[in-house]
Amino acid sequence: MRGIDGAIYEIHGMDALAARKQWMNEVHPLVKLLLTLGYIVSVVSFSRYDVIGLTGMAVYPLAGFLLAELSLREGCRRLRVVLPIVCLMGLPDLFLDRQPVLFLGLQVNAGLFSMLTLVEKGIFAVFASYLLIATTSLDKLCYALRLLHVPKVLVTQFMLTYRYITVLLEEAERMTQAYALRANGQKGIRFKVWGSLTGLLLLRGMDRAENVYEAMLLRGYEGDYGYLREKLPFRFGDILYFLFWAALITAFSIWPLLPLVGDLIGRIWI
Amino acid sequence: MSHIRIDVEGLTFGYEKGKEILSGISFHAAESESVGIIGENGVGKSTLLKLLAGLCPEYTGSVRIEDIPVEKSTLSRIRSRIGYVFQDADSQLFMNTVYEDVAFAPRNYGLPEKEVERRVEQALKMTGAEHLKEKQIYRMSGGEKKLVSIASVLSMTPDILLLDEPSGALDPKNRRNLIRILNGFDHLKLIASHDLDLILETCERAVLLHGGRIVKDGPAEELLTDGKLLEECGLELPLCLQGRRTYKMH
Repeated sequence: MRGIDGAIYEIHGMDALAARKQWMNEVHPLVKLLLTLGYIVSVVSFSRYDVIGLTGMAVYPLAGFLLAELSLREGCRRLRVVLPIVCLMGLPDLFLDRQPVLFLGLQVNAGLFSMLTLVEKGIFAVFASYLLIATTSLDKLCYALRLLHVPKVLVTQFMLTYRYITVLLEEAERMTQAYALRANGQKGIRFKVWGSLTGLLLLRGMDRAENVYEAMLLRGYEGDYGYLREKLPFRFGDILYFLFWAALITAFSIWPLLPLVGDLIGRIWI
Repeated sequence: MSHIRIDVEGLTFGYEKGKEILSGISFHAAESESVGIIGENGVGKSTLLKLLAGLCPEYTGSVRIEDIPVEKSTLSRIRSRIGYVFQDADSQLFMNTVYEDVAFAPRNYGLPEKEVERRVEQALKMTGAEHLKEKQIYRMSGGEKKLVSIASVLSMTPDILLLDEPSGALDPKNRRNLIRILNGFDHLKLIASHDLDLILETCERAVLLHGGRIVKDGPAEELLTDGKLLEECGLELPLCLQGRRTYKMH
């Protein structure tokens, strides 16, 4: 029951983050969307054994978190769903890929590296996505998608689905609260009532969704969100921001910058 | 002053075939009239308002808004003139912040951003909700949501205001504020409510529904003081006319 509460709170919390008056939030949404997509593609295309090279890619999300004044702890919390899945997917590599590799003077399985890169890829992808949605409201994200010529039908579906998730969750919360208040001392919901509760949730959700839709129709909605018609101009800063990060991400994906920096530091110190 | 009028003639409607909720409803309202639609629960007050707004287009009879028949092809013209305040404010407000929600309609009607901003400011000022402008909707109380839902239709500058149970969830101070807002709106308004005290304070005319029909249509004061008729229709006299004792502080 706390779960539904938490989910609603988290969704609204993300909306609140995206609505902040912070300079990262003001960067053009298309710039942020393109950078995020480019970053994820670069991260995913790293060699399965290049743990050190891939680690350098952490610079984009980490710098983003700092610049956007986002909590790294909150970002890590977002990993709780993805991380176990990624670990589970990488686990077989540990046993199947038994090619011996020398690392820091120790002989280890290559599978260990492929598992670590998979975990890193998962973490970086989640961080980058979190950075995007925590600094860009859904309206702006949809606007950016439209600029990329994603069909209007798809964008509208995406937007309405997001809105209706909250409606459905709110209904689920009301129902579970009503149940809990009349099921004293009971843990969770009894299996026997799951069927009727789910059916009722669907009906109530549809009812609420219809009301919301009617409210939209009565205020001039005709299949297009007003915000999508608003034009957001590109500023000089947006272009600079894009060029800087695009260059850095490309550099990190092409050249092993982190080992080079390590070498350089090593030489200076030694 | 607008020249808006509502003409309803022989209106019959039911959600299921053979089960009519409203049957043979006829009434007219014009200009700056303020009409209260009263009746017990489930009598069809909300349905009547929805029919006027074109939310249930499959009815028999005639519904005309300023001589425009309410039918599929005319809905967008009609809706641009009507402001509908839902019974449940949670259904009405669907954007993240108050500003975005109140700006939803003006933006949909393609107004420039400056005008949108002006309208939002004005609507919030009219409802006394300026301080909520940047607030997130999920963090608001029921009463605040109600005020914002009224502001969200006022920003459309409608000619007709349809309100479904507008005083629900309001505390006495906000209720008083609502009465002030409603009395300050000089266009045509229809208020469906069983808060008879509110009807008495805001409407000069009332339409009493019972069994899907109009039982009486006349001056609100006359109708709302007819205890026998109200009782027959499942209602009671407004609280202010019931002569209830009040406790005095000594």
